[in-house]
Amino acid sequence: MKKLKKFLLKFCLIFVLLNVGIFVIFFFDLDGKLLFNVVEPFLKKHYDNMERKDTLAEAYDLDKFPKYKYD
Amino acid sequence: MAKKNLTKAVRDFWYGKPHTAEEGGRRLGELYEDKTGLLKHREWRGVKDTFYYMYNIWGYNYVHMVLDILKYSNNPIDFFKGTWRYRWMGQTYLPVIHWFERGLQGLRGEALYASAWHYRAMVSASIKQICTFFNADTRLHGGKQNDAYRHTIYCNETTCGTLFYPWKDAGYQYVSMEMIPYFVTCHVNSHTVLNYIDAVQSIGLPGDPCPMCQAEAGIFVLDDVPDSSPFIITCNEACDASVSTHTLQDWFANKPLFALPLPMQFDDPLVHKYCMNEIEECWKFIEEQTGTPFDWECMKKYLERQNKLQRDEWEKWEVASKTDYYPITGVAQALFRIYSTQYGVQTECWDEASEKVKKIMYKCVEKKINPFPQTRHRVIAWSCAPLYYSNWCTWAYNCWGLNVIINMDSLMFDMEIRTDSYENMLEDMATYHMWAPMRRMAVGGMHHIFELWDYMKRFNCDMVAMYDQLQCKGMQGVHGLFEDEFRKRNINAFWMPHALPDCRTVSRAEIRRQINDYMTTVMHEEPLDPSLLDFDDSMTW
Repeated sequence: MKKLKKFLLKFCLIFVLLNVGIFVIFFFDLDGKLLFNVVEPFLKKHYDNMERKDTLAEAYDLDKFPKYKYD
Repeated sequence: MAKKNLTKAVRDFWYGKPHTAEEGGRRLGELYEDKTGLLKHREWRGVKDTFYYMYNIWGYNYVHMVLDILKYSNNPIDFFKGTWRYRWMGQTYLPVIHWFERGLQGLRGEALYASAWHYRAMVSASIKQICTFFNADTRLHGGKQNDAYRHTIYCNETTCGTLFYPWKDAGYQYVSMEMIPYFVTCHVNSHTVLNYIDAVQSIGLPGDPCPMCQAEAGIFVLDDVPDSSPFIITCNEACDASVSTHTLQDWFANKPLFALPLPMQFDDPLVHKYCMNEIEECWKFIEEQTGTPFDWECMKKYLERQNKLQRDEWEKWEVASKTDYYPITGVAQALFRIYSTQYGVQTECWDEASEKVKKIMYKCVEKKINPFPQTRHRVIAWSCAPLYYSNWCTWAYNCWGLNVIINMDSLMFDMEIRTDSYENMLEDMATYHMWAPMRRMAVGGMHHIFELWDYMKRFNCDMVAMYDQLQCKGMQGVHGLFEDEFRKRNINAFWMPHALPDCRTVSRAEIRRQINDYMTTVMHEEPLDPSLLDFDDSMTW
């Protein structure tokens, strides 16, 4: 019984602390701030420096495929 | 005095601060950080709505985004690989919850609960499409063309998804090449698209064509379109600029391609017949490419589901037009509608959201709850909206009491498709195809652009928000005609200049300034929330 009480008390405490933590993140828009100030600049840098195929180097072959006419 | 203040503080805590300045209002503009548009803190909407927002919208959607990825992804690792590979994915979709925030700001009660369901459906449909891309993308699977690749059909974003229903039960998924990498990104994070516009201009395209066409081609120039389908169905979208886009797409995609045009003068019966033939040719092309025949029963099944969704919408419009009890904000209405009609009933999230919204709406009707109690004007929004500021409707309600009841984007596909015979279905399908986004009422001819007057009457609106897409040559050509008609009919209307996805041409602040000027100098009205008149959100998503 004592063990159960202790467990319930611990459970309630963790539940309350978790909810307070989530509320702080939510209310102060901490998720938005993290994404705007840290994640987006990091990803942007990654995409800016990414090696990309030179699409213009590819020839535009107009006759490669049929005309797909079904009259 | 102290007792009065305490009572007000307790009331504000319990119910949230009132809307208007006269009542010691909430001053939403003061919540923003300068330039970034991030929130110093979220609005306190009262105990019930703040915690509803936190658990049932913010938390619920974060959790369900993860669940959707697990549900629709063949291998969740692909999702992370795709996020790392594609700018439009990583840079755009992470701040999706902030997109909710912008559209739902200031809403309380039923308006908040119902509008959030529309957003939820759009996020779920987006994740499904993203997973369809990544499940099949050869770039994420070492160049291998897997089974998902062979069962994915690529189409242009204004080619209606309805066309591909006959192959659905055979395991084929269709996905638009532009809806997720371009269209939705502009709403969620307007920074991303600028890279694609600049990319296409860097290869010599002039800056004055429609920036939508530029951005769509730019995604290909930067090699940022997943390789997820063996063939492509494309179209001219609504205008000639898009024809050039698709020439570039044909070049860069280098795949079998069928062009299914949207005719310009679609009221002509001969054009209608021509369009029916074109649709049948498109179906033959798909049969040839997939080796799977057209399935009429499958077509009927999904069309009937789509018709049900259309009837649901009419039910909602009936309430919106005749009462003050419609609980959806203008932006949630417009985006849900255009998105669901283009993507079609590939996912059940539209039906689920629609049912939930109807339930909330009928509660409002029964209990006579006005979800937008500060409405001063019932507004109809016409022409194509600024994608980077689609949430202007929410701002306009909070600042001026302008309640956008309906908009052109919602009304383009105002029809059911008959399923009693193949011939009738094909005839209606051609109409549906020709009533594409931006075509029917934007560049589709005089009869249709001026349907505005009928819809204004039908939805009992007393004001028009007239979008002015500065780089749309079609709509620029009729600007004067609208001006004349507004004067002749004595209609209150304001113009909203914008450049569709490009927030650099006309800023959000400039759009707000135009509306503010109209409301003060023409309407002689005072703002409900003066803190929203002028603020700097130039760097915001």
